[in-house]
Amino acid sequence: MASHGITRAAGTAVRTEEARQQQLRDVDAYKELVDLVSTKVTERQYTLEVIGLLTKLLKQNPEYYTVWNHRRRVLNALFPSDPADESSKHGVNDLLQNDLQLTFALLRQYPKCYWIWNHRNWLLETAESQQGAEVGRQLWSGELLLVNKMLGADSRNFHAWGYRRFVTAQIERLTTFTEGEAPRSLIEAEFEYTSSMIRSNLSNFSAWHHRSKIIPRLLNERDANTDARRALLDSELALICEAINTDPFDQSIWFYHQYLMSTLSPNCPSKDRIVLNLNNGDRQRYYENEMQYIREILGDEEDCKWIYEGLLFLAGAYLEVDGGTKVFTTADMRSWLEQLKRLDPLRKGRWDDLGQCLNL
Amino acid sequence: MSLVSGPGRGMASLPAETRLYVDKHVSYIQSLDTRKDELEYWLTEHLRLNGLYWGMTALHLLGHPEALPRDGILKFVFSCLHESGGFGAAPGHDAHMLYTCSAVQIIATLDAFDKLEAHMEHGRRKVGQWIASLQDPETGTFAGDEWGEKDTRFIFNAFLSLSLLGLLDLVNVDKAVQHINSCVNFDGAYGTSPGAESHSGQVYTCVGALTIADRLDLVNQERLGAWLSERQLKNGGLNGRPEKTEDVCYSWWVMSSLAMINKLHWIDGEKLTAFILGCQDPDLGGLSDRPGDMVDVFHTHFGIAGLSLLKYPGLAEVDPV
Ligand SMILES: [Zn+2]
Repeated sequence: MASHGITRAAGTAVRTEEARQQQLRDVDAYKELVDLVSTKVTERQYTLEVIGLLTKLLKQNPEYYTVWNHRRRVLNALFPSDPADESSKHGVNDLLQNDLQLTFALLRQYPKCYWIWNHRNWLLETAESQQGAEVGRQLWSGELLLVNKMLGADSRNFHAWGYRRFVTAQIERLTTFTEGEAPRSLIEAEFEYTSSMIRSNLSNFSAWHHRSKIIPRLLNERDANTDARRALLDSELALICEAINTDPFDQSIWFYHQYLMSTLSPNCPSKDRIVLNLNNGDRQRYYENEMQYIREILGDEEDCKWIYEGLLFLAGAYLEVDGGTKVFTTADMRSWLEQLKRLDPLRKGRWDDLGQCLNL
Repeated sequence: MSLVSGPGRGMASLPAETRLYVDKHVSYIQSLDTRKDELEYWLTEHLRLNGLYWGMTALHLLGHPEALPRDGILKFVFSCLHESGGFGAAPGHDAHMLYTCSAVQIIATLDAFDKLEAHMEHGRRKVGQWIASLQDPETGTFAGDEWGEKDTRFIFNAFLSLSLLGLLDLVNVDKAVQHINSCVNFDGAYGTSPGAESHSGQVYTCVGALTIADRLDLVNQERLGAWLSERQLKNGGLNGRPEKTEDVCYSWWVMSSLAMINKLHWIDGEKLTAFILGCQDPDLGGLSDRPGDMVDVFHTHFGIAGLSLLKYPGLAEVDPV
């Protein structure tokens, strides 16, 4: 009912009579299974046999959210009422492992299905409350491996990135909770993870985004002083400028550049800043350096609209911090805008508005 | 989204590549409920109520509201209603925010709240209260159902349904607005939760919720508009995130968000119109995600709604929210 990327020919091929008969048998078998499951659940037959039927149904149709709900109802009934009861630990563990395996297999097949991710999340939370913090910590740590696998298969899967943020938060919470151990943050490891993702594919905006969210916390946890903060900003600028030079047509890279520039603005909330105590003179120097660098690239890439957009953005920011037009002229700005209109007619309305806004 | 007014002027005679195959789309949508011998029909039962909303809205936009019988639609919608006040996707399916929102949208479009009251005593209020019960009083977010999945989508579903029910005062709007505001990124766009990457579907739900709450002042409209306008690719279609491929459903989410912040002119409407028209199946009707792909009612609805927002001649006018 919402299909993506399936060619029309594949869908509308004329069915042979034999194929039609087979389809009718499949329909009957599927409906029979659905009816059987709903009868048993309505009768509150919360048994291992029903778990098996639910598995069969979910493998055929993981989008059937009500069946996932049934599964949790059955599991909740099978769990012992007293989690401290040692004799039942084994059974609980088997049930949870069974579902972890099921959801893992289904996620590999349907990586964008919300309901599978939800069920997995519920399993982990339930395991922690049933089996205690230590088991919970081990299980959540194992989830990072799952996330790595999922992101290895599709490095932009936003379910996997969201789950990654959630999982690391759980591991940090439980590590802090464990007695005798100092709180251990995963922020450095996460920063390193984004570096490796970016190294393997510069155009992975999900990784750049994740990095932008990590940096402020990273600096706080490092207790970074002004020098350390400036050093980090400089190394990020060096990284992104190299990336721009490698592929100036990739918008992910320019968005990260915009992110870095946005942290310089006087309007940037202090919690999001990289360097905390910039004055307008500092800001002007940063903007000047970036403009100079981008103008150098312009020499080789006259037809890259991102360059002109970047320059106009910087010019606007420069004017905002009273830089005047020491390093560029209004005529420069006008010519950049003309280039944008030439190279990017799709967004003509936006460039017209920008010209008005900058009084060009 | 809902209809602003009745159908517009008659269709001008247009060359083949710019033609909308209205009659084909109408019969395609009518055919959807007759496919019970196909496994796909049963495997998508969990989307039945949404599907009905998509099909019905498309028919209204096409100027053929009579093509699906009003009584039949309402009978089905009420068969999905639980005692709790929530709606499931089909009879026997559990209540969930996604389907409750579709149900309320259908009832509102058909102007049938009196029928809801007749079907269930204080039905309107019960539905509103069910939605309100899913708000987390601490964070202002909404869960999708009793199992507690949270997502900025559900704030939008809640606001939209409650505003159509006239019961927005049942929830803490300010708290939910604060939560949306904590999901904004440096690019001016929004993610599913604080820290999550910007995504056009999420932008639509967040900007839509802020529009209903009359809090568009919180949106950095220049930056968001810039990010949204960069979703348009050379072929005219729009994508959902940087460096992804174009798709008719994302085209709707992006352009309706642009419309809500008065920046629809920041993309090329003619090229987008051509892209959407190119996704039609000219023989059997319906629209797909991309030219040449298999059609479905979801993309048929978003494609036609998109054309309406782009003022394609002959279509009824759509509200971007
Ligand atoms: Zn789509």
